[in-house]
Amino acid sequence: MGKIISIHSFRGGTGKSNSTANLAALVALQDKRVGIVDTDIQSPGIHVLFGLDAKNMGKTINDFLHGKCEIGEVAYPVGDKAANSPGRSNLAGKKLWLFPSSIHGREIGQILREGYDVNLLNTGLQTLMKEFELDYLFIDTHPGLNEETLLSIAISDMLIIILRPDNQDFQGTAVTVDIARSLDVPKLLLMVNKAVPGYDYNDMKNQIEGAFNAQLAGIMPLNFELANNASKDLFAISTPNHEWSRELKKVADAILSAD
Amino acid sequence: MMDQEITAQLKKIDWFEELPDKMLFGLATKVRRRKLDKNEVLFNKGEEGDSLFVINAGWVKVVTKDTKGGEVVLNQVGAGEIIGEMALLDNEPRSAGVVALEDTTVLELKRDDFMDILKLQPDLALSVIRNFSSRLRYSTQYIEMITDMTQRVAQGDYSFIGDTQPGQLRRKSLSDQDKIGQLLAEFFAMVQGVKQREDELKKQVMKLTLQIDEAKRRQEFEEITSTDFYANLKQQAKKLRKQRTDRN
Ligand SMILES: Nc1ncnc2c1ncn2[C@@H]1O[C@H](COP(=O)(O)OP(=O)(O)OP(=O)(O)O)[C@@H](O)[C@H]1O
Ligand SMILES: [Mg+2]
Repeated sequence: MGKIISIHSFRGGTGKSNSTANLAALVALQDKRVGIVDTDIQSPGIHVLFGLDAKNMGKTINDFLHGKCEIGEVAYPVGDKAANSPGRSNLAGKKLWLFPSSIHGREIGQILREGYDVNLLNTGLQTLMKEFELDYLFIDTHPGLNEETLLSIAISDMLIIILRPDNQDFQGTAVTVDIARSLDVPKLLLMVNKAVPGYDYNDMKNQIEGAFNAQLAGIMPLNFELANNASKDLFAISTPNHEWSRELKKVADAILSAD
Repeated sequence: MMDQEITAQLKKIDWFEELPDKMLFGLATKVRRRKLDKNEVLFNKGEEGDSLFVINAGWVKVVTKDTKGGEVVLNQVGAGEIIGEMALLDNEPRSAGVVALEDTTVLELKRDDFMDILKLQPDLALSVIRNFSSRLRYSTQYIEMITDMTQRVAQGDYSFIGDTQPGQLRRKSLSDQDKIGQLLAEFFAMVQGVKQREDELKKQVMKLTLQIDEAKRRQEFEEITSTDFYANLKQQAKKLRKQRTDRN
């Protein structure tokens, strides 16, 4: 049975899109069938990591939600597209599909104004789990706890919460953890991103795991190389020996080894 | 005091160390001996100076005033050391005052007497010039060293600390007259201090202070979970997971 994994953060810019794209790629490299859905309809971002832009983007989640196409038509087959970047080129032939949200202002505006049927999104996700025989479906979400994010948490088999190690995020993460438990999410993983150097990381891990009673799968440092990469490539694949990449690999291993 | 004793004292002065004994002897005849009681002022800062002093016996302190008028001791000078040699060549006012710390004897050489001899003895003039030029050379070397160290410290490179003997930074014979040598030594000590503090800081790993406001946490949880949407979702979620499990 395939697993639905939502990636969530309380604040924007925490690194959801970068982490989701790289995690999905790491898992796909283990010859798993992997899908990624961008449910951040308000401010989509993950397509950039796969080299998609307005020119080469086909059907989108928005088209599906407006009844203009089937969910399967939205799929962008990452493994079939010739990639010329050092990271993405490793994915050639891998079973990895991206289901992007529209990046056209008009279409974003429309869906925000008119809303959409959250149940339809749900049906769509269940459909592509089956149709694409996915082992893992990653959902990149909008920060905070809006309706589609709550939905993605509700239907997830695993929720990964990314947080920065500061009190604002601890507070927000606490609420998300409570929600996940209330919605009976079977498995909860935490990961820290943008950790500044100079901290005792073992102590950090113990404190966070103690406070939330959940596994902290990785502590990824704040890193200027990654910031300079500016989401242009899959950093964990192009630069696997970097500390950021090695910590993310631990999270991927936690995903793969979860029952 | 015997002139010979005075000659021996004068020989200790850099300027005169290369001077033939005969010439030193001539200088010695011009030297006047002065006794200072404890706390007696030899000269004050700002006074016009026209003589050089050699401490023959005892101790004096070199003093200036801080901004509030309090006394600051720059240095303590003992037997065999010289004070105010620049006054022999220029007419500048004294840059600091000198006070006897105990009963002290000094030898005084007046500028006019020195000049008279200088006119008769071109070799003495040469010797003085040589002494100045070698001081200048040392000063230049020291400035180059300080420049180099400053650049390295700015780049976080402290490797030179291990290769440098603090002793080699200061030329013994120049002792207290050598202000740049002193600056270099102080600068080096400062770099050692900075490096040590930096190392201490590196050792102190910070610890997280994790704080959660539990009342706020409950309140936000209730705000989200009290909607109809949420109640509906919670029911559906159970069903959906069950459906998917059953299908397998
Ligand atoms: N560990 C890191 N060190 C430095 N920069 C990072 C790190 N992680 C992510 N970034 C940068 O932070 C920015 C935000 O990352 P990303 O888009 O992945 O976050 P997000 O949570 O998806 O944001 P949003 O909430 O806007 O969707 C990007 O410019 C990314 O390059
Ligand atoms: Mg994003």
